[in-house]
Amino acid sequence: MDNRHILSAAIGGLLALGLVSGNANAADKMNMEKCWGIAKAGKNDCSSNKSAHSCAGQATRDNDPMDFVAVPKGTCEKIAHGALKEM
Amino acid sequence: MLENFARAIRGEGLLPDNQVICPNYSAESAVGVYRNNYRGNLRGALAIAYPVIQKIVGQNFFAMMAKKFIENHPSHSGNLHRYGAAFGDFICALEPGLPYLADVARLEWACHLAYYAQDADPLDLARLAQVVPEQYESLRLPVHPSCGIVKSRYPITAIWHAHQPGMPADFRINLDDGPTIALVSREEDEVRVRALQEADALWLHSIRAGIPLGVATFSTLECYPNFDLQAALLNLLPVLTA
Repeated sequence: MDNRHILSAAIGGLLALGLVSGNANAADKMNMEKCWGIAKAGKNDCSSNKSAHSCAGQATRDNDPMDFVAVPKGTCEKIAHGALKEM
Repeated sequence: MLENFARAIRGEGLLPDNQVICPNYSAESAVGVYRNNYRGNLRGALAIAYPVIQKIVGQNFFAMMAKKFIENHPSHSGNLHRYGAAFGDFICALEPGLPYLADVARLEWACHLAYYAQDADPLDLARLAQVVPEQYESLRLPVHPSCGIVKSRYPITAIWHAHQPGMPADFRINLDDGPTIALVSREEDEVRVRALQEADALWLHSIRAGIPLGVATFSTLECYPNFDLQAALLNLLPVLTA
């Protein structure tokens, strides 16, 4: 198989598989809202001045009502324990 | 003044009392309060970046390592997520009796970087379909900013997976399983770690260096005649971008 053929066979095969790559990327980071009470420990976006830590990613327990993550607008209230205001 | 303050916080000097405006405490104890918070923040940052290391060595030993590390590595950024890059090298020099520990730490740092790396659009197959085959050779495929590769003499991928939350405590890993190349990526906002074949790793290394698809593929085939480009593309699709 000559070199060029290797490339066209591989890419052709890839395209033929018709993979739909997950386009659920964060293409639009606009239109986000802060959602309190849903962050996993260590995965919060930023700290409130009431919580016991000083930095994003430092939440020490799950669903701390004093930590938030940014979520697309309108989704926070659909999430269990999610609150648009800090408790 | 700031330089003095930084030195005092690191415990390398004292501030004269008249430089601390604090009626109820001596300069020494006021700086001590600040220093404790500073160290506590850095220790917290390390614990967040290196959960597997902490799980392997236990909290007490981890705290001791963190204390030593913090003493010798001042924070250089206002962003605590950037703190701790050298922890793997530090562990390596410490020789804690677990030969794989330093490489596991390097893998965890790659995961940490991956988590906070910038977003990039995934490779658009519809656009790839429009490229004429004559141009495949000169295609350059950008690699996602979250992509990291860590090589080790030890099975660090298996060790990392065995220490993830929710994994059973009874596992068996043979340290002689041979070298590993760990690929770190972020997919759907989740950091993933998997083992990479040598040929795929070499190819990805070239692609990431901006080498066109043709040269990257043919030079990989020279070293690894069994290299399967289509399998590699499929396997590495999540780390390729538009």
